[in-house]
Amino acid sequence: MTTEAKPRALNRLQSMYALRAEVDKMYEGGVEASEEGRPVAWVMLEGWSNAILNAMGVNTVFPENYSSLCAAQGVATPFLERSEAEGYPTHLCGYARTCVGYSSRMVELDGKIPPEAPAGGMPKPILLVASGEVCDARFKWFQSLGRFFDAPVWTIESPYPGLRERLTEGAHERNVNFLINELKAFVAFLEKLLGKKMDWDALEHTGGGTNEINRWRWEINELRKARPGPMNTRDFWSAVTAALFRGAANPDVITKGFERMYDEVKERVNNGIAGINRPEKYRLSFEGLPPWHSLGFLEQLAERGWNFVIESAYRPPRPITIDLSKYSDPMERYVRRRYRRLEDSLEEDYGPEEAGLIIDEILCDGVSRRMGLRHIRDYQVDGVVLHVLLTCRSTSAGLNLLQHRLLDVLKVPSLVIEGDIIDVSAFNPAEALRNAETFEETMDHYRKVRKELGMPW
Amino acid sequence: MAYFLGIDIGSATSKGIITEDGSTVSRHLLPSGVNYRLAAQEMVEGLLAKSGVAQEDIACTVATGQGSANVEIADQEVADIRCCARGIFSIFPSVRTVIDVQGQSTQVLRLNGEGQVANFVVSEKCASGSGRFLDIIANVLQIKLEDIGPLSLESKNPVTFTTGCAVFGESEAVSRVSEGVAREDIIAGVHQALAEKISSLVGKVGLEERCAITGGGGLNTGLIKWIERKLGIELLVPPEPQLVTALGAAIMAEEACK
Repeated sequence: MTTEAKPRALNRLQSMYALRAEVDKMYEGGVEASEEGRPVAWVMLEGWSNAILNAMGVNTVFPENYSSLCAAQGVATPFLERSEAEGYPTHLCGYARTCVGYSSRMVELDGKIPPEAPAGGMPKPILLVASGEVCDARFKWFQSLGRFFDAPVWTIESPYPGLRERLTEGAHERNVNFLINELKAFVAFLEKLLGKKMDWDALEHTGGGTNEINRWRWEINELRKARPGPMNTRDFWSAVTAALFRGAANPDVITKGFERMYDEVKERVNNGIAGINRPEKYRLSFEGLPPWHSLGFLEQLAERGWNFVIESAYRPPRPITIDLSKYSDPMERYVRRRYRRLEDSLEEDYGPEEAGLIIDEILCDGVSRRMGLRHIRDYQVDGVVLHVLLTCRSTSAGLNLLQHRLLDVLKVPSLVIEGDIIDVSAFNPAEALRNAETFEETMDHYRKVRKELGMPW
Repeated sequence: MAYFLGIDIGSATSKGIITEDGSTVSRHLLPSGVNYRLAAQEMVEGLLAKSGVAQEDIACTVATGQGSANVEIADQEVADIRCCARGIFSIFPSVRTVIDVQGQSTQVLRLNGEGQVANFVVSEKCASGSGRFLDIIANVLQIKLEDIGPLSLESKNPVTFTTGCAVFGESEAVSRVSEGVAREDIIAGVHQALAEKISSLVGKVGLEERCAITGGGGLNTGLIKWIERKLGIELLVPPEPQLVTALGAAIMAEEACK
């Protein structure tokens, strides 16, 4: 007698695979460029620099993403150990430590790519481009990399003010001008380094795709509000790297990939198909960055009927139309296309009335509770997993506050799972699964509480 | 007659209970040692021998605790926090907060009016938040574990530990011994530090009275007093605090058969 194998608990989107493959192509493209003698830069974030570098014919690869790739393929630990041997403490960012270990290994191999490097590896850079966004590790780490390579380090400083500061009079224009000047200085530096002039026409193309990609990503997330949730966070994490770290890829190809993903998710919504092959018992949100080394853990949770229908990180904003007709300077067009006025975004996203309430909250408290909790309410989440990262203050610092607010305001409980983005030794899946079982009882309790209070889910 | 078995294979101690119609027929405790499978086997044999119940008369077995996967006769594995909630609620239905101090971790539970886990928090991956911290310091001071609680209450001047880490705490205790600090003051300092950690866990889930203490920590009269002082409340202590989770497992075994 033969028994039919039970399908895997996660119901993966087929369109995700093509997007994930684009990331592999990006690394292959970097190696190919290096072998052909073309310049390759290591870049922190897609950010503001990638499109400029690509327009000047520089291939880009991303150490932050590459570290997560190493973790996902189970090869990060030797790089972490090497970084520790170099004197970097274990409480530093796991991405940074993996990359430092990788660089140290490259130096040992006279600049060659380590044979154990996944996806073909990152080739030796001619330039290191850091970023001042989000955390100090993002520029201190690249300064450290400067020790390993005979390559200049350039930090793109971009305005990263608090919400209240963004609302102060004239702040937006000052920030736009700061960015334009900062990026023009970067272009001048590149022209000197590469001995060629900037191709401003090319920048229109390389810098133009982001909004269109984000538009599809936003539409996909809107579809994810459906019951059952048509797309699990596992697919989100597999595909999002193609949007965040697209390197020299043609933006049209990535846009098409997300358009296909939209079609597939829509098809699922129309047919009531979930992102898990089990009944959707609980809808959850994943807060923070994922444990890249143990994404299979989501399969075990899906087996229990847990469907992560949304996540806190990298949610694209609602697309808005920006009139660029009055701007002729290509750098200004590039900046204004992506750097939005907070008031405009809020009004478009929430409508004038709620946007006004949010602005009041921000002016009063510096933050907005409505904004922070919106995805929990919109996606009718039963519970939230807070992935507290021992080595990332930026993503972990506010989680305790969030936990209290979720419970106080929305009566939605949270499960704290300690771990790390890269370091597998900080994660205990057995303990997390034991606590997950108990958390189901907690989610059941708060379902009753919400019902008693007349809340919509 | 149907009997129900609850087995809690903890990191330090294994506990088991056989119940019949909600009443305890027999109970058994033994050190878990390094072989949980063997501990589970000995637990079953011990319980059956004490009760005179035949294994075939056990209608359902629920296993819980760190080593629950090693209980071969288990019909079901259930998370220890859920079992603890069921166990304490059967003893004290008025309890809404539970402090469960185990060998490997401390967990604080909030219960709803039906004895379900409304919220919970587990101490971080650090021995200083668990009973293991007391074990380590008792070893340094060469005091029996059962004596450290009463001894801590004799202190007039508890030592303030400068570290929140059990490993560094051990070396700090050694330093204090070499400085001639009284043992009761060192051990009181450890209790105070543990009570502070537990208090912060209670703060995370929010204290709602009545509050009970379970696990091995419930046997430590000193720790109970230090927590009571810190929280400004009186703790409920069940008659056999270490057995509460096993009792909850037996109750869940009975529920599974209904």
